[in-house]
Amino acid sequence: MFLTDEEKRMLDGKYGSGVQRSIELIVKLGDSFDAERLSPITYAHISYDFCPKDFWDMFTEDLTGTPHRVTTHPSYSPEKWKEWGLSFADNWEKEHNEKLKRYLELGWLRTETCAEYLLGIFPRKGDIVPMAGSCMQVANNSLFGARVDRMGILVSLAAAVCGRTPLMGLLIPENRYADYIVDVKNLDTSDWTIAHYHCLGYYIGDQIPGFKPVAVSGLPPTIPFDFARALVISMPSSGAVTLAHIVGTTPEAPTLEAALGNKKNQEAIQVGKREMQETWEKLNVWDDDKVEHVAFGCPHATIDEIGRIASLLEDKTLRTSMLIGASAPVEALARQQGWASIIERAGGHFLPACPSIANPFTRADIAGDKQAKSAATNSARSAHYIASVCGVNVFFGTEEECINAAITGKWKGEMPKWK
Amino acid sequence: MEIKAHMVSAGKAEGKAVVYNGPFAFLGDLDPVTGSICMPRHTLEGVNVVNTIFVFTTGKGSSGCDFAAWNAKKNGKAPAAIICLESEPVLSGAVIASEIPAVDRPDANVVEIIKTGDYVKVDATSGLIEILEK
Repeated sequence: MFLTDEEKRMLDGKYGSGVQRSIELIVKLGDSFDAERLSPITYAHISYDFCPKDFWDMFTEDLTGTPHRVTTHPSYSPEKWKEWGLSFADNWEKEHNEKLKRYLELGWLRTETCAEYLLGIFPRKGDIVPMAGSCMQVANNSLFGARVDRMGILVSLAAAVCGRTPLMGLLIPENRYADYIVDVKNLDTSDWTIAHYHCLGYYIGDQIPGFKPVAVSGLPPTIPFDFARALVISMPSSGAVTLAHIVGTTPEAPTLEAALGNKKNQEAIQVGKREMQETWEKLNVWDDDKVEHVAFGCPHATIDEIGRIASLLEDKTLRTSMLIGASAPVEALARQQGWASIIERAGGHFLPACPSIANPFTRADIAGDKQAKSAATNSARSAHYIASVCGVNVFFGTEEECINAAITGKWKGEMPKWK
Repeated sequence: MEIKAHMVSAGKAEGKAVVYNGPFAFLGDLDPVTGSICMPRHTLEGVNVVNTIFVFTTGKGSSGCDFAAWNAKKNGKAPAAIICLESEPVLSGAVIASEIPAVDRPDANVVEIIKTGDYVKVDATSGLIEILEK
């Protein structure tokens, strides 16, 4: 691989051990994909809380700051977990606080969200942004046209520290054209909600081998942002899709031809009623109808979503715990609007955490004997990870069905009438 | 029988093979405490992959797969080596950072040729897979 003199100095350890280890990892990764060189980055998005402490210490050693912006993924919030009486909250506090202190020392921005674009922090088309979080990667690639390659949490920290990422994969414009066309024209989407788009995305992710770009064709033009985001972020939980063009909606796909570019012989995948029904069934993993927890905000909730939830919870008392994953600034806006207090009075909670992989209510290693043994969600990504990482029953349905379950403690969700 | 492959992550290992004709995610598919496959309804649900030569098609899933691999390796719950048909950047970053030997792009279709229980040697650094006994 070609390396600049500056990159060689990093490898030689001139900028300390953290930068040295980081660029070593980035070079090895690039070499394994035959990358010709590294690329400087526009900014980086990491996850300090998901990063194991020993790795974090090794890879930030000697570092005093970075010339580029660094932002962060949803955090754990052990101080809140303690407030809520979750049994093992104490175990998480020390490492979280140590990493956060170091994170802030480096001058990095404490965004703590998987939906940074809601805070006004988003890439311009063509920006090169290494990112932690497959949901961030696919959303920023697909919805904003940033150049984000698929990568892991550890690798994204290494890229943030050394300011380089291998020039490969989705950073190269020709690789961004679609290899698969997913045709949904036989489905009537006129009454679809966020959950329906999650279900479609989950099916598509499962069908695409590897992380080849996809073009979804046959949806109405300019579908709402929440729907587009639900569709793309579900794909990398059942699979590895990192760039999904939605024809007529996303910036690199004004037309199907634009999304396909000079690539030929795309494989076509038809999605119909049977596929949607089977996927919806697959996302429901439960044996009795008792609901103990409801998770919203995967990806982190928009202000509109919080407004809808609040309107259904006025003067209600929840029989389940409820977590809404939301960034602190969006939560602050909901508070200003009076919506946060409605939700909290009913018994719901806000947290700038990941309500899927790191949901404190369903994780036995956080909640202990207070672990919820079942959870309802309208996010396919939440359903996937709560079922697998937490091993509890999962109900997948619409926002309204989930709120109903939170109020009654029973699941009455129904299979949508696919048309 | 010897099969040539491409190095993803350096190192050598040998052991009994576990073969899965599908993609694998360190986060979600693998129980970090036991080293068994924990994804509900997975065809390998309950199968332990600790110190095995784990053979599958490619990687998938969350970008958290690399920290899950790092933790699995630290706890001694990782496969000894990985063979896949074609890697992807999260899986490659995971095995490189965690120092789990791994190869991809084998000259032959390993998910069909290698059977679960075969004794397999992987020299990732030299890009060689050896199937010792059937």
